[in-house]
Amino acid sequence: MARIFAPEEILKDIPLMLAYLPVTLEIALFAMVLAVVLGLLLALIRIRKVPVLRQIAAVYISALRGTPIIVQLYIAYFGIPMIVKYFTIQSGGTYVADTGSGIVYAIIALGLNESAYLAETFRSALLSVDQGQIEAASSIGMTYPQALRRIILPEMITVALPNLGNSLIGLIKGTSLAFACAVVEMTAEGKIIGGRSYRYFEVYISLAIIYWAITILIEQIIRLIEKRLAIPESPKIAAGADAKTKQPSESSPVGKVAL
Amino acid sequence: MIEVRHLSKRFQNNVVLDDVSFSLKEGEVTSLIGPSGTGKSTLLRCLDQLEIPENGSITLNGEKYELGKHSRRSTLALRRQTGMVFQRFNLFERKTALENVMEGLVTVRRLSRADAQEIALKELDKVGMLPWRDHYPRHLSGGQQQRVAIARALAMKPQLLLLDEPTSALDPELVGEVLDTIRNVADEGLTMLLVSHEMSFVQKVSKQVIFLDGGHIVESGTPGEVFGRPKNDRTRDFLNRISRLEQPEYII
Repeated sequence: MARIFAPEEILKDIPLMLAYLPVTLEIALFAMVLAVVLGLLLALIRIRKVPVLRQIAAVYISALRGTPIIVQLYIAYFGIPMIVKYFTIQSGGTYVADTGSGIVYAIIALGLNESAYLAETFRSALLSVDQGQIEAASSIGMTYPQALRRIILPEMITVALPNLGNSLIGLIKGTSLAFACAVVEMTAEGKIIGGRSYRYFEVYISLAIIYWAITILIEQIIRLIEKRLAIPESPKIAAGADAKTKQPSESSPVGKVAL
Repeated sequence: MIEVRHLSKRFQNNVVLDDVSFSLKEGEVTSLIGPSGTGKSTLLRCLDQLEIPENGSITLNGEKYELGKHSRRSTLALRRQTGMVFQRFNLFERKTALENVMEGLVTVRRLSRADAQEIALKELDKVGMLPWRDHYPRHLSGGQQQRVAIARALAMKPQLLLLDEPTSALDPELVGEVLDTIRNVADEGLTMLLVSHEMSFVQKVSKQVIFLDGGHIVESGTPGEVFGRPKNDRTRDFLNRISRLEQPEYII
């Protein structure tokens, strides 16, 4: 009788599945970009109370949060080709079934799903920006888009960053469902390997290790960005000046401009 | 002459400003005084279009701006002629003192960074904040933050500077430095509309004092007239209550 557990299989499986890491990352990163752009737009629509669009945004967010991601993946997989088919026939073209674009459907489904969550993340982050700074920007004559780009977004992103990290980690793990769109990524490859060797347990342990490792990496990257974005704890002290004195010397390193 | 005409503002059923009209002489400081909740701040905020009144207009530089029926363009044009100093400073937290002053020059007036920096350094120097140019607001005291905020407003070369209780959020020991800064700006001949509870400062710095109560101008005139010989009972009452809070420095 075969051994119950073959730990060496785990090490053997990891490289096989890592071969599909680019697929996983591709789906996750493109979906993330889509989710960030859409999520920010949705949050702004809700905050600025844009008529009509605001109601549409509310329904959109509710629907996408209220249905399972696996169902959304299936809907994208079957629905998007139907829409494409309809429009090609309408415009007089001939529809050729494209079997290779499963990854696009997966990106769209995961991206739209995440955008609904990010919309709320961004909304709370936008609300956290002190109204006084927005008024100050207005008072010096900045338009809202200018204030958004120069003042609000840089400030809001530091608040949103931890949640953005969560979203990216969620997306990475969400890609394991992309098999629903006939995409072979790491988990799908794992299932295929398992089907061949019947060592499913070992395969899933390998997968768990890989996903965890990726997550740890993302956590570190987010921490690094957070550190970079933080306002320094203590004021910059000019070179040569006594570090203890609060009063900076006249010759600070930056901006030596003759008056 | 800067003219404000028929300014009316209500929040739901609460009438805050009721058909207020007054004029400011160019190059002079006009102070708005009055009990809390009489719409002093609201009046300033209406002039800068941070609140939109039901009715009212302001004539600045010969150009009339409708405050109630605002378009995006007229709002921007008006804001580019006025500067605002807030009670709570409202500096951009993620920018250094220098960047705070440069921001409007670069983004709104579209100056090159070098030109903007030159102007910003000059303005920071004027308010005595040059040594702190690379500090973030959180590393500055309240008084220092307010001085940077004044420099930020001045850098835009406004025709009219609105000051909304610029010292109310400060520790008593820091009030002096900010008042000195405002006084220097006033001496340079910038038109200013000041809301303040610092009565002795108001008396010293302003050419015209307007007493606002219940959304109406109750009394206006020179500081000598309003403080020395108030005609209206409500003004007298208000000044009495204020002076009771302010201990006399010495009694002969």
